[in-house]
Amino acid sequence: MIAQRAGTTALRRVAGKPNAFFTANVSRLGRTQTLSTTQTRLVATQKLTADDETALLAKQRLHRPVSPHLDVYDKQQTWFGGSIWMRFTGAAFSGSLYTFSAAYLVAPLAGWHLESASLAAAFGALPFVAKGALKFLAAWPFAFHAVNGVRHLLFDYGVGFGRRTIVKTGWYVWGASMVGGLYLAFFL
Amino acid sequence: MTSIARSSLLRQLAAARSATQQNVIAKAARATAFHTTARRDILPPLPQRVDGTVNDPAPVPPTSPSHGSYHWTFDRLVAGSLIPLTVAPFAAGSLNPTLDALLCATILIHSHTGFQNIIVDYVPAYRMPRARKLFIWGLNAATAVVGLALYEFETSDVGITEAVKRIWTA
Amino acid sequence: MASLRSSASLLLSAASRPALRAAAVAPAAVRGMAQVTDGQQQNQMASGDQAKLKTFQIYRWNPDTPTEKPRMQSYTLDLNKTGPMVLDALIRIKNELDPTLTFRRSCREGICGSCAMNINGTNTLACLCRIPAEDMAEMKIYPLPHTYVVKDLVPDLTQFYKQYKSIKPYLQRDTPAPDGREYRQTKADRKKLDGLYECILCACCSTSCPSYWWNSEEYLGPAILLQSYRWLADSRDEKTAERRDALNNSMSLYRCHTILNCTRTCPKGLNPGLAIAQIKKEMAF
Repeated sequence: MIAQRAGTTALRRVAGKPNAFFTANVSRLGRTQTLSTTQTRLVATQKLTADDETALLAKQRLHRPVSPHLDVYDKQQTWFGGSIWMRFTGAAFSGSLYTFSAAYLVAPLAGWHLESASLAAAFGALPFVAKGALKFLAAWPFAFHAVNGVRHLLFDYGVGFGRRTIVKTGWYVWGASMVGGLYLAFFL
Repeated sequence: MTSIARSSLLRQLAAARSATQQNVIAKAARATAFHTTARRDILPPLPQRVDGTVNDPAPVPPTSPSHGSYHWTFDRLVAGSLIPLTVAPFAAGSLNPTLDALLCATILIHSHTGFQNIIVDYVPAYRMPRARKLFIWGLNAATAVVGLALYEFETSDVGITEAVKRIWTA
Repeated sequence: MASLRSSASLLLSAASRPALRAAAVAPAAVRGMAQVTDGQQQNQMASGDQAKLKTFQIYRWNPDTPTEKPRMQSYTLDLNKTGPMVLDALIRIKNELDPTLTFRRSCREGICGSCAMNINGTNTLACLCRIPAEDMAEMKIYPLPHTYVVKDLVPDLTQFYKQYKSIKPYLQRDTPAPDGREYRQTKADRKKLDGLYECILCACCSTSCPSYWWNSEEYLGPAILLQSYRWLADSRDEKTAERRDALNNSMSLYRCHTILNCTRTCPKGLNPGLAIAQIKKEMAF
């Protein structure tokens, strides 16, 4: 620290004398200093009518960015809150129901065999691991949608809105759906 | 010689400055580029426009209970009735054809209103009125087709609960 | 007599009030000054291990250069010399490190709702949000999510206020009070408004709601619906049916899917999710 202070005093002493080379350096340093956070604006005032003001504001609004949302919001709430998974699981089930049904209708024309007997035979021919994985892949969303569906119906009835309760039941749903999915997949 | 001396002097000056900066704890401005909005290109938010002046209230849509309270209540009733209908086959082992058909119909309605909700959420009518119409009518058509297919499946095949059971235990 | 006169002057003269306030504020201000002046000496003695440095990453966007993308800027403060709340840190950054940092603040006690922002992932009031002192992780501060940014941490809430106006947030009555005096209500009826009237419209809940993110043009959002229920539940209001009709469409109310981010984020501890559920329940049959 003392050495530094000695350095600055030496600098000051040198700066006192006119020196072309040194002043050039100092000005360069000064320029780096203006990179700091102070901001200068050249302001010219002018009178505006109310209409002009609104037009100006409307123009400014067009340039405004939208603040970040999904990326920055608490992941535990947006991605594990249960509600969005209700939608994911429901859409997955209904989507597969719709595709299967449409396929079932055109199956005779296309020559596919989508009758329950042939499907069961095809599924039965799969190895155990694949069967278990496929079953769990269907059973977990089913359990989740069912358990969380009951939770949402209770919400609609006005029950379970305590702050702690919301968080707790949210995690219970995850646990229950995992257990339920495993049970349905492997013990039924 | 002089140049060397001066450069060391400058270095000292720089050191002094960094020290003072630390003194005020001004570890400012490690600005990083911020990228969040560019990646999500599905329905990016529009530039901000405000209808009317700041003091005008937002417009109130016309009352239509069939899209509002009736729709919501109907949704909940369907969802609620699905509980006994899904529990029954687990308890009884299987369902008789009438109950099986009822389960099919309820699931179909539940799916339809669920998809409707998704469309209303993500295909806003004020922004894409034609796409909204297309999606809604597409959904109606799909639901009709699926209804027909489920009727076929119920009448010519073994019924949905029995089919799931056979595949599950295969 | 002298004391009487002084109290009277306190009550009457407006000039004495700022003086009083200044006196009340003074200790804090003095402390701040002392920190700044003896900061150098303290730092010379106290080396790095005693300074509790915490880095704040703050969203920056300047409307003067609209083509530049928003960016995150980090500032480091010594928590030993900063007040306990995030707002204290922001004010200190603005005072000492970067005067261009822009944010709204007023009451610093959670009653004005100005300093609502997204802190470490959840929306809250900066003045009510403690800086976690135990861990030295960086704090991330963004403006309220999915709002149009005026500058830095200042969002444009025009649409939010326009929606508030659209629900007619005032008592609507045609019949005069029976005794010609104020409109009375029973204690039980008054109790129904508890948990509703405390809302300060900080927009924390509305901007935490994904449904409101996607449909803020038409969906009213939790804050406005809670306010709406405050008037629906008021026994003195006579336009309950009209108020319900105004909500009875696919967008205004029924875009709520009970995600309940609103209840989890409310800095005042209110329950917008429950209020909306009660509106839906009352409108169901």
